[in-house]
Amino acid sequence: MDAVLEVEGLEKVYGDVKAVRGLSFAVAPGEVLGLVGPNGAGKTSTLRCLAGILPPSSGRIVVAGHDLRQQTVEAKRALAFLPDEPRFFEYLTVWEHLNFTARLYGVEDWEARGRALLEEMELTGKEKSLPGELSRGMKQKLSIACGFLHSPKLILLDEPLTGLDPIGIRRMKASLRRRAEEGAALVLSSHLLPLVEELCHRLLVIAGGRAVALGTLPEIRARLSGPEAEGASLEDLFIRITSAAAEPGTPSP
Amino acid sequence: MSFPRAVLFLWTASLRNRVWRQLARLRRPRYLLGAVVGLVYLYSAVTRGLGVRGLGAMPGSARLFAELSLVGSALGTVFAAWMLGRDQPSLTFSETEVVQLFPAPVTRRALLHYKLVRGLLGAMVGALFATVFIGRVVSGTPVLFFLGASLALGTLYLHTTAASFTRTRLAARGGWGLAVRWGGVTLAVVAVALAVLGALRAHPFPEEVSSSRELRTWLQVLVASPGLDAVLWPGRLLVGPSLAGDVDGFLRALPPVLALAATHYGWVMLVEVPFEETAVVRAESRARERALRASGQRARTGTFTLRKPPFRLTARGRPEVALVWKNLVARKRMAGGVVTFMLFIVFGGAVAAMLGDARLFTDTREVVGPLAMTLAVMLTVVGPSAFRMDLRMDLPKLDLLRTLPLTGRQVVGAELLASALSLGGFQLALLSVALLMGPGEEAALLSDWWWPVSLSLVVLLPSLALAGLFVQNAAVVLFPAWVPADTGMRVRGLEAMGQRLLTLLGTLVVTLAGLVPATLAALLVGLPLYSVLGPWTVPPAALAAAGVLVGEVLLGVVALGRAFERLDVSEDRPE
Repeated sequence: MDAVLEVEGLEKVYGDVKAVRGLSFAVAPGEVLGLVGPNGAGKTSTLRCLAGILPPSSGRIVVAGHDLRQQTVEAKRALAFLPDEPRFFEYLTVWEHLNFTARLYGVEDWEARGRALLEEMELTGKEKSLPGELSRGMKQKLSIACGFLHSPKLILLDEPLTGLDPIGIRRMKASLRRRAEEGAALVLSSHLLPLVEELCHRLLVIAGGRAVALGTLPEIRARLSGPEAEGASLEDLFIRITSAAAEPGTPSP
Repeated sequence: MSFPRAVLFLWTASLRNRVWRQLARLRRPRYLLGAVVGLVYLYSAVTRGLGVRGLGAMPGSARLFAELSLVGSALGTVFAAWMLGRDQPSLTFSETEVVQLFPAPVTRRALLHYKLVRGLLGAMVGALFATVFIGRVVSGTPVLFFLGASLALGTLYLHTTAASFTRTRLAARGGWGLAVRWGGVTLAVVAVALAVLGALRAHPFPEEVSSSRELRTWLQVLVASPGLDAVLWPGRLLVGPSLAGDVDGFLRALPPVLALAATHYGWVMLVEVPFEETAVVRAESRARERALRASGQRARTGTFTLRKPPFRLTARGRPEVALVWKNLVARKRMAGGVVTFMLFIVFGGAVAAMLGDARLFTDTREVVGPLAMTLAVMLTVVGPSAFRMDLRMDLPKLDLLRTLPLTGRQVVGAELLASALSLGGFQLALLSVALLMGPGEEAALLSDWWWPVSLSLVVLLPSLALAGLFVQNAAVVLFPAWVPADTGMRVRGLEAMGQRLLTLLGTLVVTLAGLVPATLAALLVGLPLYSVLGPWTVPPAALAAAGVLVGEVLLGVVALGRAFERLDVSEDRPE
């Protein structure tokens, strides 16, 4: 099956700082890829490049068959980016945000979809609220509702559970799983390793802007030699991999 | 280390670090250039100020205007201190001050003194700016103006603090306290109203005012009447040192103000109330607001009025219409443009009245037509700065804009359109008023030109405003480091001021350069037709000029769209 997201040699440079160095990976429909790494590893830069927010310094990104650089609009139509700090237009209500999104993406049955999404996100009754009147968690849910409205083929999530309460977290995990089952590809960046372990089919561990591990959890475990690797938790693996990556001369996967 | 010494260390270290940071920034050429321009501007402002004639030599109307403005501002501050806001201490602390100083082993009084000294230093900074920018207009002795203004602003700060403490105390006493406060306020307001009415009864507005001198004479007599003189006396006392023409005058005016300041200090100490709780809430609220502004979400929830959207947005059709719709919703709900517009009209009327153009009150119809047309023309210049529902408003949300499935051209065009539609709508409304009112029957020569010129302006002014809007939006996209978008957090410093001046100059140059082809087109069309059509040559010439302007903007949108797609602000905020 063709990948929904293909990344080849992605690099992002800020002045003298190389934030992302030659990332290459692909995500298939229905697959959830976990993007993990220590602070400053380049996760957010990578996601912003994938979402078309930052122009990559070099490399190629293809979303649903469309080159993000050449066919920007078509590629963006197929994706949704849900940042850790949701951004809204403070003068539009919850319902008007859905209306705005519907026009941008041409979602004709947006009202029915919007109602269902608000119900799913427990935002029913908040249709006329302005973003400034919503709690942190509610804003996160509104961001997700807007992102899901056009049924994107690729969903990019940066710390998606920030601000959600335990019930919200459970619902959100179920919601993400359902989108994956329906065929969407998800790239999820989070520091919450148990969440990543629970939801993701494969992991991409990056450190210093480089991919230091890519594969399923058992594959990554198998790559690490030594008796302590067997049965190690993701947290243990994460610490071992990223510590090793910090040492000079570590090869890429 | 004692608290005062710790505070002194805090302030000196902060100032030193800030200066070092700003000096370090000068290694980048754009900041160095900005600093040079800022320095040149400040130098010219100060040196020009030294060469300006003193207040004593100023025309009577300007002197009266300056004195009444300053006295009005002072009395307005006092009025606001007692009438507006909540019954709670007015002291504001930053979140850092709350976290660092409130748990420190210091008394409340020490904290209060810390805040008062900060307030007085702030008053001095305000006085310095006032001296640089208006001091040279209202006083020929900038040093004396600065000293007087510092003292006046400091005293007003003490008054505001004392008033808020007193209000808090009175509110804590329940109904009786509120009755005392509002009783006192009502008595003061009634006394002022009686004084104003008495003065107006004794010196009514002249039935016919043919010159500004007559109006000024009437105003001078009015404010010199006993009742009104008594109302204005405290304000005059306070601004006396600032407006003193020489050292002798300053020294004569100084003692009463010093006594007033000392009395206010004693009053603050006497009515001191616990302020920590309010300060913490206020600091948190300000920090939240700042964070929202920094993230591009202006914390203006409380000020929005949920008016209906301008039209129903269907899911079908060109996607960029969603951006136009969104910005028109913002226009209706934020209403900043309307408020600015109304202020503009009120201020214009006030200036006209001050200058003695009494026709405004006697020949309304004859004045309103030309006035509406003048306002429409002036909106062409000031409108692009006042109507900002475009990239200037949305660029802080660049992340969000960049994820939208739109080309750069679509984003730029749609963003520009909402401001252009709103501004053009205002201009057309004003021109309609001008056309309906007409120039008056006695203005025969004007009558011949009225309709052709007005109709020309109908096409020309919105096109000019569109060009102005385009240039301002282009500046934000092309020079994001020079022209900050509306984040609500202004970059401060000499170099930032210089950058703004350079940007303003650049904007003017680009606008004028853009007008050259339009003017040529107008001349090419108008000159051959004039002998045949006379005044009616103007509309086709204006149409040609407007067409060229719109064409230029369309080409500009295409180019700016590409620049928007390449816009990379990431160098300023790496992960």
